Amino acid sequence: MTGTAMSDSETGISLAGPVLRVRGMRKEFPGTLALDDVALTVRRGEIHALLGENGAGKSTLIKCICGAYAPTAGEVLVDGRPVSFSTPRGAVEAGIAVVHQHYNLVPSLSVAENLWLGEALPRRLGLVDWAAVHARARQVLDRVGLDIPTDADVSTLRPDQLAMISIAKAVSGDARIIILDEPTNALLPHEVDRLFEQMRGLATGGHSFLYVSHRLAEVFEIANRVTVLRDGRNAGEFGRDGLDRRAVVDAIVGKRAAQVGRKSRTHASAQTMMQVRNLSGPVSQDVSFTLHTGEIVGVAGLPGSGAEETLNLLFGRLRRRAGTVTVADRPVDLRDPAAAIAAGIALVPADRLTESMFHAETIRANISMPSLSKYLRDPLLKLINRGAEVAGISEVATRMRVRMPGIETHVDDLSGGNQQKVVLGRWLSTGARIFLLNAPTAAVDVGAKAEIYDLIQELAASGAGIVFASTELEEYLVVCDRVLVFFQGRVVGELAGDSLTEGNIMTLAAGGDLSDDQQ
Amino acid sequence: MTSSDSAKAATPFNLMGFLARYGTILSLVILIIVFSIGRPEVFPTLRNMFNVLNQVSILGIIAIGLTVCMVVGLFDLSIGAMATFGGYFAARFLAEIGSDSVLVVAGVMILVLVLAMLIGMLNGALIARLGISPIVETLAMSFIVTGLILGVSGSRTVNPSEITMTFQWIGQGRVMGIPNAVLILAATAFVLWLFLEHTQSGRNMYALGGNKEAARLSGISFTKYALMGMAIAAACAALGGMVAGANLGSGRPQGVGETYLLNAFVAVFIGASTLKPGKFHVLGTCIGVLLIGVINNGLSTLGVPTFWQYIVQGTILILALISASANSVRRA
Repeated sequence: MTGTAMSDSETGISLAGPVLRVRGMRKEFPGTLALDDVALTVRRGEIHALLGENGAGKSTLIKCICGAYAPTAGEVLVDGRPVSFSTPRGAVEAGIAVVHQHYNLVPSLSVAENLWLGEALPRRLGLVDWAAVHARARQVLDRVGLDIPTDADVSTLRPDQLAMISIAKAVSGDARIIILDEPTNALLPHEVDRLFEQMRGLATGGHSFLYVSHRLAEVFEIANRVTVLRDGRNAGEFGRDGLDRRAVVDAIVGKRAAQVGRKSRTHASAQTMMQVRNLSGPVSQDVSFTLHTGEIVGVAGLPGSGAEETLNLLFGRLRRRAGTVTVADRPVDLRDPAAAIAAGIALVPADRLTESMFHAETIRANISMPSLSKYLRDPLLKLINRGAEVAGISEVATRMRVRMPGIETHVDDLSGGNQQKVVLGRWLSTGARIFLLNAPTAAVDVGAKAEIYDLIQELAASGAGIVFASTELEEYLVVCDRVLVFFQGRVVGELAGDSLTEGNIMTLAAGGDLSDDQQ
Repeated sequence: MTSSDSAKAATPFNLMGFLARYGTILSLVILIIVFSIGRPEVFPTLRNMFNVLNQVSILGIIAIGLTVCMVVGLFDLSIGAMATFGGYFAARFLAEIGSDSVLVVAGVMILVLVLAMLIGMLNGALIARLGISPIVETLAMSFIVTGLILGVSGSRTVNPSEITMTFQWIGQGRVMGIPNAVLILAATAFVLWLFLEHTQSGRNMYALGGNKEAARLSGISFTKYALMGMAIAAACAALGGMVAGANLGSGRPQGVGETYLLNAFVAVFIGASTLKPGKFHVLGTCIGVLLIGVINNGLSTLGVPTFWQYIVQGTILILALISASANSVRRA
């Protein structure tokens, strides 16, 4: 595989010359070899995707390119000249800019102030010349075709606008090679489209992008070329023409090709588990549906459509305005999460780092937190029976197939996929029967995704009812029995069987009508 | 337990990690050795060891209570005022009643602890329900409590002659050769260690301090544990103040708690860099308190001027914080 990568870039059929080349890159850490003889070529005006599972070496490679790490061996060439940076500043001067997942913006400052961050502001009579600051900021935004006021607070902007401001900032510093580290994680499909449109515009103007993402569908849409890393080595390079989904997935996961197919078997029974009647919240209106034992119901919609809000209402995170919820024929008052948990409901929230993990705690403490009552020695002092806790939690961790040295390992030392298994496992021991899963595979690598899909199906097979939401449309086809699509707070359609397609979800979520397609 | 041991054994030795965990204990041991060599006839005697413990017992009781509220992610700047509150009101009530019965003394002390807890719960309620910053809220409460004591006392100290012997015995007596104050410190440390490390409430507190939203989504009530944490901090401060009052044999309406406020924070922060870097815990706080005690006692046995005690204490705190932050950077 490495051989094809080398020959492919060496032949250089394309007229556009390489602007960034990485050769023989090697990076050793104590005890591990993170990168082993990695090569990469990015051409002028190219959007180049860098793919690989977590731990494949993508982040390490980016850090070696931009000067955050010193490589053990190998070289980086910009315009054919070898460069080496000891600081990120040096990389910026060579024309390389990195846009991180969280965009490095200060939310409380204006767009203009963020664009000027780190630079000396223009002055007049010793005071900041705000007119010049905004005029210059306007120019920078115009250059990338971004139509937002320069005095807007960054905290008021949409995620795709944040991504574009970061890119604008990179371009304004005369960066010609822009490295995007999972820029679309927080973005919705239509925001991704807007970002891609603007990236294409910049690429046509001669800028090059190195684009790191877990979302294959996006990569196929935007990338001119793809480099795949696996276990710190080159695992394949694909041009636009040879871009075959199956081949790319094979290169990413290696021999154990995780072919995730469309859901074929259902575990749903006729027995009603939860009934939602006319549920309304701040956005959602009159949401009604029935969840059966073993059933997986998807709730889909654009951000702010009420799909995600419905999960939060069902878990008592938000106060419902109207409606009733019954679990096993008993009405439940979902006034707070504790009440929802008591009713047998579990929530896996969207943002693992800020909403679910107890950092600096062990796997054991992370799993047992909501179910400690099961491991008490006495009801008064509530002393914990450590032996019972260790035994119970070990069993859960094994069932969830968490890969770990032991349950006393710190949860921060696990990969994203294993962390998510810990979060799911947390609810196995509370005896939850209804699982609300909000983007449970976000920022998780391909292999771990497949494992989480399996775990979800196992939960359903064991008789749990599941309500599922995702930011990736294809996941609904893989995971769900049927999907409720939200638009402007209301359920505008239910898709199942043959009508459950990405296109139909998209059409309904955008406020469209399916009747044309069906006739 | 075995799994954690094997996990640790598997990782190669890491000097920064070792210093972050054991640096504080190491510096405590080094200081004890240095002082023992410097004044072999005075410092390393059993009598002086009890002396050190006795000197830090009040600080220790207050600092351990502060640890509990900091575990929840809160802060209490009113502990100084609450210590004064405990010392003054215990002495004043006992002086008013004038009885020397053990039951009365115990009853009065419990009453003062309950009052302190109510004030602590008020702190917790204002912080949790109204979302006020704990720093500002407890600062405000310390003014109110200080004002209350000055108003009730008319700035007049309750004199030793007015205070019963039973109460003074609590601060000055010994059981089996061990000063009572040290025994109270040990009991407080044991009970709150058990509470934080081995009860559901304690674990819930750590969860809230670690990630408030994740804890809420696990069904843990922030309000409940904010009330509990602030009540414990206030009660421990009042207990420490009562021991101080009993030790002095007087009920001073001012100038008691302030001396402990900053040292208690120093001890808690040193503790958070010990054994479990980045986490507040009772054992760590105890080591922080001991370190302060050994520095102060050791330097004065060496005859070093008092100003050096401040400089050494500040330097050790900075070193402790550096090693703790180096460790967290390494983990990230």
